[in-house]
Amino acid sequence: MDLTRGQRAKITDLIANGERFRLGVAIQAPGLSIDFACFGLDAEGKLADERYMTFFNQPTSPCGGVRLSTPADDPAAVPTGDAAGFTLDLGKLPSSIECLTLTAAIEGAGAMANIGPGHVRFLDGTTETGRFAFSGADFAAERALMLLEVYRKAGVWRTRAIGQGFNGGLAALVEHFGGTLAEPPPPKAPPQPEAPPVNLSKITLEKKGNRVSLEKPGNAEHGEILINLSWRPAASGTVKRGLFGGGKRSTQIDLDIGCLVELRTGDKGAIQALGNNFGDLLNPPYIALDADDRSGTRSEGENLRINGKHWDAIRRVLIYAFIYEGVPNWAEADAKISLKTPGQPEIEVRLDSQSNDQPMCAIALLENDAGAVRITKLVDYYRGHREVDQAHQWGLKWVRGSKD
Amino acid sequence: MAISLNKGGNVNLSKEAPNLENVLVGLGWDARATDGQDFDLDASLFMVKDDGKVPDDSHFIFYNQTTSPDQSVEHTGDNLTGEGEGDDETIHVTLSKVPATIQRLVIVVTIHEAEARRQNFGQVSNAFVRIVNRDNDQEVVRFDLSEDYSTETAMIFGEIYRHGGDWKFKAVGQGFAGGLKALAQQHGVNVG
Repeated sequence: MDLTRGQRAKITDLIANGERFRLGVAIQAPGLSIDFACFGLDAEGKLADERYMTFFNQPTSPCGGVRLSTPADDPAAVPTGDAAGFTLDLGKLPSSIECLTLTAAIEGAGAMANIGPGHVRFLDGTTETGRFAFSGADFAAERALMLLEVYRKAGVWRTRAIGQGFNGGLAALVEHFGGTLAEPPPPKAPPQPEAPPVNLSKITLEKKGNRVSLEKPGNAEHGEILINLSWRPAASGTVKRGLFGGGKRSTQIDLDIGCLVELRTGDKGAIQALGNNFGDLLNPPYIALDADDRSGTRSEGENLRINGKHWDAIRRVLIYAFIYEGVPNWAEADAKISLKTPGQPEIEVRLDSQSNDQPMCAIALLENDAGAVRITKLVDYYRGHREVDQAHQWGLKWVRGSKD
Repeated sequence: MAISLNKGGNVNLSKEAPNLENVLVGLGWDARATDGQDFDLDASLFMVKDDGKVPDDSHFIFYNQTTSPDQSVEHTGDNLTGEGEGDDETIHVTLSKVPATIQRLVIVVTIHEAEARRQNFGQVSNAFVRIVNRDNDQEVVRFDLSEDYSTETAMIFGEIYRHGGDWKFKAVGQGFAGGLKALAQQHGVNVG
């Protein structure tokens, strides 16, 4: 079935089982960098739950009903020749999600009038059953497009080829869905020790593996680097099994932030609440953890601070977070990490892995690169401390500990 | 209870609205949220004789000619964007004032400059057309244009017609190529 702009169809007319299929998407656009995303919207067309924006930083929805694959990370899941694939299982979506809108946004300058041929296509297994084709002639100055939606009407899943968008790009698109895009902070803003409240409308689009390098301004010193972990406290009355508590039942969600540190002297260590290694900001290792929030109720969360004045003493720091107890995986913890460095956009990461055996997440690696702070965003999940250590060849000895 | 018809529906609704007298034709849609040219939907009405043609051009009621000579049909105004809640364009009909020579009132919905703007009903959000019996505020019939007429740019919504001494309403719901100009020519209007 060829879909024209505005055309609608029932999913069952395209997909035999009506629920499980893939959407393949591709746009030929030499010189333009285009990112694809899928927004899970409520009945009002709003992104009520930010975790339902499926994109490169958050490739799977909490329910598993939407999964983004790219040729780089999971080529087998991408329809042959397409730039990205969305694997959908409509039956897994919560009833609050009424519409999935597939979008394309140009990163940086450009206009959709300049794109070549593009398409969104339905694949039932490996068979193409429907295609919405478009090209630059269909557009003008739009920088972000809603390409196609899959929506529920009177209990029946349907689709519509949209092909409309916004000159304001991804920011306007996100605003259309009821959110706002995080803006880079003003360059001179000093780091604030307090953590911002969990802001559902904030989405930072830093890509995994992105690197920034902070040079020292002249003879000045680096400012303070602040890493904040915050999460949603458990609803009262929820009882979940603790991870390390030997089967003890706990009502608290306890997440911890920490880091591996290696100094110029060759000294190595870990800073984290587990084991009571809170570090020291004014003396080596010049990194300190401010508190151990056992339940997610502390408004400022947990903060790890790196004293930039003594950056010269530090060789590298690996920031990590792990689930101490309360939830089986990150997707249920609704946790957020932010990394603030003077003069750089705040890096915000939502931890959304659904894997129950990977409670440890390596967030970012900070390396001393001839005096500059080179930050590499990681967001890699592991089974535990030892595995992170091994992956980054830190060389510490690990034994299991408990706070109780 | 309003009856919602799908594409191609053709139902005699005399039982739904016996003794129709004061009729409202309502056309509604959402203003465009995305960038690009506005969606401008128009409701129009042809007052035709038993041969299906207007007696003269003054019996074509549309945005540029909002009242019939006999005052029986009144278009309350042209909405260019869909801004506002509920019905964005309405046509009021007082059936007892309709001249005896007029056998049928044909109601059409079109997208202004659909071809040039490359638009269709499916691109518009929440577009509908409906008939309301103003004497009891009952909605008699409603078409969901966005959903059921997604690839159309013009449609014949339905017609109010004489049957014996009564008026009845017949839902047609048929797409039509060529827009308002072709529809006007079809109904005997001299389009300049």
